[in-house]
Amino acid sequence: MSTASPTTTVPRAAPAGAPALPRWQAAGLALVLAALVAVPIAVDNAFVYHVFITICVFAALSTAWNIVGGFTGQLSLGHGIFYGIGAYAGVILAGLGITPWLGMFAGAALAVIVAVAISYPCFRLRGPFFSLATIAFLEVFRVLALHFREVTGGATGLMIPLKLGWEWMVFRERPPQLAIAFGLLLATLAVAWFVRWRRLGYYLVATRERESAAQAAGVDTVRVRLVAVSVSGGLTAIVGTFHAMYLTYIEPAAMFSLTLSIQIAMFALIGGIGTVFGPLLGAVLLVPITELARGWLGAKALGLHGLVYGLVLMLVVLFMPNGLMGLVARLGRRPASRGAQAAPAVPAAAAARPAVGAEILRVEGLQKHFGGLHVTNDVGFTLREGEILGLIGPNGAGKTTVFNMISGFLRADSGRVSVRAPDGTWHQPVSPADFAGLGVGRTFQIVQPFAAMTVEENIMVGAFHRHADVREARAVARETAHRMGLGPWLDVEARGLTIGGFKRLEVARVMAMQPRVLLLDEVMAGINQTDVRRAIDLMLSIRDSGVSIIAIEHVMQAVMSLSDRVIVLNSGRIIAEGRPQEVVRDPVVVEAYLGKEFVHAQA
Amino acid sequence: MDILLQVLANGLMLGGLFAIVSVGLTLIFGIVKVVNFAHGEFLMLGMYGTYLVTSALGLHPFVAVIAVVPVLFILGALTQRLLIQPLMASGDDHIQIFATVGLSTALINLALLVFGADIANTPPHGLRAPVEIGPVRVLTGQIVIFLAAIALVVGLQAFLARTQTGRAIRAVAQNRAAAELMGIDVKRIYALTFGIGAACVGVAAVLVAPLYPTSPNSGTYFVLTAFVVVVLGGLGSIGGAFAGSLLIGLIDSVAGFYVGSDMREIAVFGVFLLILILRPSGLFGSRLKLAHVSP
Amino acid sequence: MLRLEGVHAGYGATTILHDVSLDVAAGEVVTIIGANGAGKTTTLRTIAGLLTPTAGRITFEGQDVTRLSGHEMVERGVTLIPEGRQLFPEMSVRENLLMGAYRRAARARQAETLEEVLELFPRVRERLDQNAGSLSGGEQQMVAIARGMMARPKLLMFDEPSLGLAPIIVSQVFAVVDRIVRSGVTVLIVEQNVFHTLQVADRGYVLENGEIVLRDEAKALLANDHVRRAYLGI
Repeated sequence: MSTASPTTTVPRAAPAGAPALPRWQAAGLALVLAALVAVPIAVDNAFVYHVFITICVFAALSTAWNIVGGFTGQLSLGHGIFYGIGAYAGVILAGLGITPWLGMFAGAALAVIVAVAISYPCFRLRGPFFSLATIAFLEVFRVLALHFREVTGGATGLMIPLKLGWEWMVFRERPPQLAIAFGLLLATLAVAWFVRWRRLGYYLVATRERESAAQAAGVDTVRVRLVAVSVSGGLTAIVGTFHAMYLTYIEPAAMFSLTLSIQIAMFALIGGIGTVFGPLLGAVLLVPITELARGWLGAKALGLHGLVYGLVLMLVVLFMPNGLMGLVARLGRRPASRGAQAAPAVPAAAAARPAVGAEILRVEGLQKHFGGLHVTNDVGFTLREGEILGLIGPNGAGKTTVFNMISGFLRADSGRVSVRAPDGTWHQPVSPADFAGLGVGRTFQIVQPFAAMTVEENIMVGAFHRHADVREARAVARETAHRMGLGPWLDVEARGLTIGGFKRLEVARVMAMQPRVLLLDEVMAGINQTDVRRAIDLMLSIRDSGVSIIAIEHVMQAVMSLSDRVIVLNSGRIIAEGRPQEVVRDPVVVEAYLGKEFVHAQA
Repeated sequence: MDILLQVLANGLMLGGLFAIVSVGLTLIFGIVKVVNFAHGEFLMLGMYGTYLVTSALGLHPFVAVIAVVPVLFILGALTQRLLIQPLMASGDDHIQIFATVGLSTALINLALLVFGADIANTPPHGLRAPVEIGPVRVLTGQIVIFLAAIALVVGLQAFLARTQTGRAIRAVAQNRAAAELMGIDVKRIYALTFGIGAACVGVAAVLVAPLYPTSPNSGTYFVLTAFVVVVLGGLGSIGGAFAGSLLIGLIDSVAGFYVGSDMREIAVFGVFLLILILRPSGLFGSRLKLAHVSP
Repeated sequence: MLRLEGVHAGYGATTILHDVSLDVAAGEVVTIIGANGAGKTTTLRTIAGLLTPTAGRITFEGQDVTRLSGHEMVERGVTLIPEGRQLFPEMSVRENLLMGAYRRAARARQAETLEEVLELFPRVRERLDQNAGSLSGGEQQMVAIARGMMARPKLLMFDEPSLGLAPIIVSQVFAVVDRIVRSGVTVLIVEQNVFHTLQVADRGYVLENGEIVLRDEAKALLANDHVRRAYLGI
């Protein structure tokens, strides 16, 4: 390990659980939070109290929304559903003599059920269609609330029972209301912080950035999204209950409101979508505009604040898509040094090669049709422990299709893929998560980095597969990064890497999963001769650590020197199989893939 | 029996209305691949324009087409050029959604500021007069809308199929990079398409205004259904959207009569959600558009 | 005719081409050789105006075209036949070819050009009314080349015309490319089958990691040790 590049030998601080905010940002945050309480108490004016309570409420709603809309990237414009559920649950239960302190949890529980029920089918939808579906659900809830007037009071709405005191969350004076609103905001922020910087948060962001790559890293992307939407919906409902008790009157159009749902999302975007504290910032800046316009200008300025919102939204989208937090981050960022990205990979000390062991992966009779095209025709092979199997063939021969079928990304029309678990039992995994669970890791031919995450975070997503704890995962990620020669770029956003860097990152992420079977799809394509040599050494060292490898590769130099066996695929069929030296002499292979020139050269 | 016929006739007329509102939305979505959340507000502006021309100048509402259509064409083209085009490189759906949602919010509130929340009624000039066709009665204006919707759909299809510009528009939709390599000014085509889409909703506005009250929220009311129609019709298929409109019109009318008028929206959105979830390529869509909906 | 001077280009923050200089004279056939990811496609896309250089200068027929966009380059007479065919799948073959003649200079003569091009591609004539998306890979490549010819370009660029095609089809595509090359059009070609391409080209450039490392007559490159080892596998 002594040959690591100089930058990597600098001792680093022990990895932390969550990244600490820079001191000035932490101070700013504390200042904003303190002002939310201090200003109204100091001014002691009912209207100022009202503005600040509203800020707290919307900041909390927006922070909760951000767990789905920001971390997960599912742009819900229907969060009014959860807000309304919380409001109605609280008020209806209060009418039955149940305190809103319990009612809010009843509302939250109902919101979680609704969130899961409507999100599960909607997660297949992308971008604007997800948003449209959430709007449609919102409309359905509004109409339902109007329709069932025995329960909801219909269009006339519901008044809260006028029972004062902490028990009923209803007060004549403002300070207790501010206390509750502020408490809810703090709680929501804490939950958002916790979610973001635990494994779940990394999984959510990875899912947002590249769903397939997240699946390959063993993330059950549907499950993590459902968890996110449940947390978000539940929190929104809790805030909704309080807000209903604060407003004292609720009706369907105001509760299940598209305008409100858009506002919640808008504050997050303007503050900085996907950041923990952005939504707070957005609400702090924009809520006063609404309330002041309402309070001072009254009916004369009907629409003014909405117009400002709309314009601000367009300007933010055009000129600072990362919101205020993006601006804040840019102020504090030191310019990153951009050297050539060629720190040598550091192969682990070469142990003696362990003997090839028993079968670990068995593929039988795979068939796949796309439309009329027979892309895979009766493909079968086995892989043994500690073996390297080369998979070659012309473009379009079906190599990547085979990979997709033996990693759960594509279901074969017929045929079987079996993997032997460490305890010796054989399993037939189905989903990418199943395959990952059995220790099958893969890379993608077209690299799939989580572009907005740093190199370290990218690799951590892989490391989480075996290490749920953030510190441990970070330590494993760093170790893997150094081994792969990515040490100097740990804190660089993945999108800034070169092609060669992407290829290494792709391998590093899967290596951090500590796989037992490694599927490598053209990891050598596009890298230069010296790097090919290094990559070969690296792969040999991976093999020697007991990992079995299947590699799709066009670089024949690598195929020849790495593979124990080679399979040649052409038009979806295996046309040859055997030791590399034998296969390249096979006339069928020469005809289909290598060309005569290759043979002349070898001779 | 006559009642059923009347309900169906109402459904068809409603379908014509949805068709004329959604044809521009479909065009923009199919070609530019942007869901224009401000489409309803374009309609609302067009309706106010018609109201102003009719009530201020005392002219027949259809005369307003001379002013409303060009203005909306320009508004649409500018929206594409200034708001959507700069965001297209990012390839980020969210940003585009927020952009048009922002535009929609701004326009609604601008209307609120200028016209107030009161309802503006465009003088109907006989367009609300009933016509008897056999056993059913419909309004003159509804028939005009229905026929205009057919004319617009047929005309747009012919334009796309037969003319050099129409071919260029289709080429851009099918393969943007290749279209650029053919020498097509892709940005110009996008602005043109967005403009045509907005102009179509301008035509709709002129025809709709005499029949329906105009308010800042008029657009939201119509456009949610228009979105349903676009999805139903197969995301970008103009013919499909027309068929989808008639279907939704019939569902709306039948559900309104037989189930209860407040359940119409539930029926319509229920169908929408079912289609979206079970058959994301739309009822009439030929194939899954992978860019937008995962398999 | 075409000259690149110290061109840097890439995608977003990633620079792929570093200081690339090359030139193509009228009537010449020039090839760019390099590994996958070396920047060959990026070079062609930059010349075609699909990417704007971050530094350096591109001139065409003596005029600065560095900042021109794709459609403006087509108007000047530069046509790229892109990697992976890139047809308009839901248009007929005829419509695809007519789109090829969208360029103003070609539009007036499109009927005449269509006849000339179909002479060269008898197989394409049989498919004129089929949807382009329904053709086989080889047929699509033929249509893509024919569509490029429809623009009556001054400079025709090929990006990997044989990529992803069965070996039998590859030889047909090469036959067509050879015929075009011999017809006197100026050609810049990127092709994975280096051995074949160097035999038809006049000159070649070797691109490695986004930099030109070697330039020479095609015959000399065929004999060059480095080229033989790295790209001919000899």
